[in-house]
Amino acid sequence: MKPDTNALPGSGKKILCIEDEHFISELYVRALSKAGYDVTVVIDGEDGLNAILTDQYDIILLDIMLPTMTGLEVLKRLHSPETGKQLRGKLIITTNLEQSEQNRAEVEAQADGYIIKAEMTPRQVTEFVNQLG
Amino acid sequence: MNHLKKFQNQISLITTSFYLLSLAGVAGLTWYISRSNLPILFMIAVVVAFIILASWLFSYLTLALALKPLQMIWSAILHVAPEHNSVAPNLNDIKIGREMVESLTLQIYQFASQQDNEQLVQHRDSLVQASSVLSHMPLPIFVFNKQQLVTNASLKALEYCRIESSQLFGKPLFENLLLEFPNELTLESWLADVQDNKLTDSAYWERVRVRFKADNSLLHQCDVAAFYNRDNPSGTEVIVTLFDRTTQYNQDDQAMSFIALAVHELRTPLTILRGYIEVFEEELGDKLDDEMRGFMHKMQASANQLTSFVHNILNVARLEDDQLALHLSEENWQETVNEGIENMLLRAKILDKNITCEIEPNLPTVGIDKTSMYEVLNNILDNALKYSGETNDITLKTYKNSDGLIETTITDHGVGIPSSVLPNLFEKFYRNHRTRTQIGGTGLGLYLSKAIVTAHGGQIWASSKVDQGSTFGFTILPYDRLSSEMKAGDSDIVRQPHGWIKNHSLYRR
Repeated sequence: MKPDTNALPGSGKKILCIEDEHFISELYVRALSKAGYDVTVVIDGEDGLNAILTDQYDIILLDIMLPTMTGLEVLKRLHSPETGKQLRGKLIITTNLEQSEQNRAEVEAQADGYIIKAEMTPRQVTEFVNQLG
Repeated sequence: MNHLKKFQNQISLITTSFYLLSLAGVAGLTWYISRSNLPILFMIAVVVAFIILASWLFSYLTLALALKPLQMIWSAILHVAPEHNSVAPNLNDIKIGREMVESLTLQIYQFASQQDNEQLVQHRDSLVQASSVLSHMPLPIFVFNKQQLVTNASLKALEYCRIESSQLFGKPLFENLLLEFPNELTLESWLADVQDNKLTDSAYWERVRVRFKADNSLLHQCDVAAFYNRDNPSGTEVIVTLFDRTTQYNQDDQAMSFIALAVHELRTPLTILRGYIEVFEEELGDKLDDEMRGFMHKMQASANQLTSFVHNILNVARLEDDQLALHLSEENWQETVNEGIENMLLRAKILDKNITCEIEPNLPTVGIDKTSMYEVLNNILDNALKYSGETNDITLKTYKNSDGLIETTITDHGVGIPSSVLPNLFEKFYRNHRTRTQIGGTGLGLYLSKAIVTAHGGQIWASSKVDQGSTFGFTILPYDRLSSEMKAGDSDIVRQPHGWIKNHSLYRR
């Protein structure tokens, strides 16, 4: 029997996971899909930015160390007036990169959440995402 | 000389006139008396009295006229003498010898002003010389007056700040320069102290971050030296010199960047390991026998332990780079403890240890940085697990102590710590040498815990007896106390408002 997907916290919600580490994205897709989310994965910054600008996502998980364009550059482009698009979804930085307090605060100011990936298991990441509503 | 001659002539004329007038008076009086029938003796007495009176008047007038110029010149000399504050003589007061007095006082004034000028020139020369030395010193040097306004600066200082002298002079230094000090002992706090208590003093700070109002993006790292001299006659009260150490400190920072890179590389496989272990736990947890489930938990606990270790390394690096920032907020301590020890409970279970928690009910809320407090709890519990030896019971107690602070103790009944070792426990890389070969660890956990607890305004300690076990304890402040300290202006927390250091309520480094 098919589970009642409407009862799941992520049902009907679209997540874009911009993550170049295949194992990590695989784990996130698995955990988030189990919670009912529709997860799309892209593996570099440029594709990520294009995906954000073309499609509507409820939640975006953005890594910082990415090929072609870093997550910070993606953030910068998203917030530049030339992009001219209001981001509808919530944006969460997911990184293992250690940054100075100041950089971290600057990044946090442009995002809705910040996760150190090593400090959270995929299940905990899913719980974090659920809290965003 | 003509004026003196004229004065002599004037005096001679006046005295001669007076003399003749007196003679005429005596003759007139004698003639008048001789015509009357008065006795001869009386006549002689009257004439003698007249002569005496006229002589006295004559000498008085002569002296007054002759001494007046001397008095005027005397006043003029006193007027220009540096130790007297007398007023200048009014030359209109003198009628006889005025030209002479005018001429002489003018010469006195000119002579005095020449001396003044010489002194002034000499003073100005030394100032110019000092100023020139200051200007060309190849260091950014700032000179303040008593009001702490910049009165002078070296050319290097202007170049360094990228501003014109007009933007710097006559203004407080911090209008152009933001100095972030590594702790609460700032230039400003030092100045406040020396102005109250010292005549002269000097101070030196290392690793001060310097930013410029002119270009906020530039960050220099400097050592700062300051000299104070109260009421210096030159008006210079404070001299501040910057020694740019940006290159050297940036190299240190690159070492930090190396740690950041290493941490990133360690974290990625850790994320993956922990992720897949979680998948196994979810999918196979019910299907595995006890032994296999035990193995899985050991894998999980070890991965978690490694995560904590990576976190510790990073925080020690941050601490030493003065980058460990705590964001204190109001938290429920009971919840924090329960959340913080969750990982440790798993590890304790695997090691067959039993952690008992005794938490006093209704504890007041605390002002803490939650993540950092998790680390403190984890590090101390990790220690207790490592050193509990053959014994199984570890007790965590938390309560409000007699000082009104929230005290947390963690007690094990294991190998204990020799008293000779106890004082060094919280030092970096320090480990009990006796046990080094038996028990793993880096010697960073307690060092970091102490730094975190101290930054929260608390204290950490250890007591132990060999073969009987150890107790580690620490205190933290209830939130209301922390916030009242803030309002009371505790220098640890409240920063001065104009940019010497970051101003952030509940922000501690």
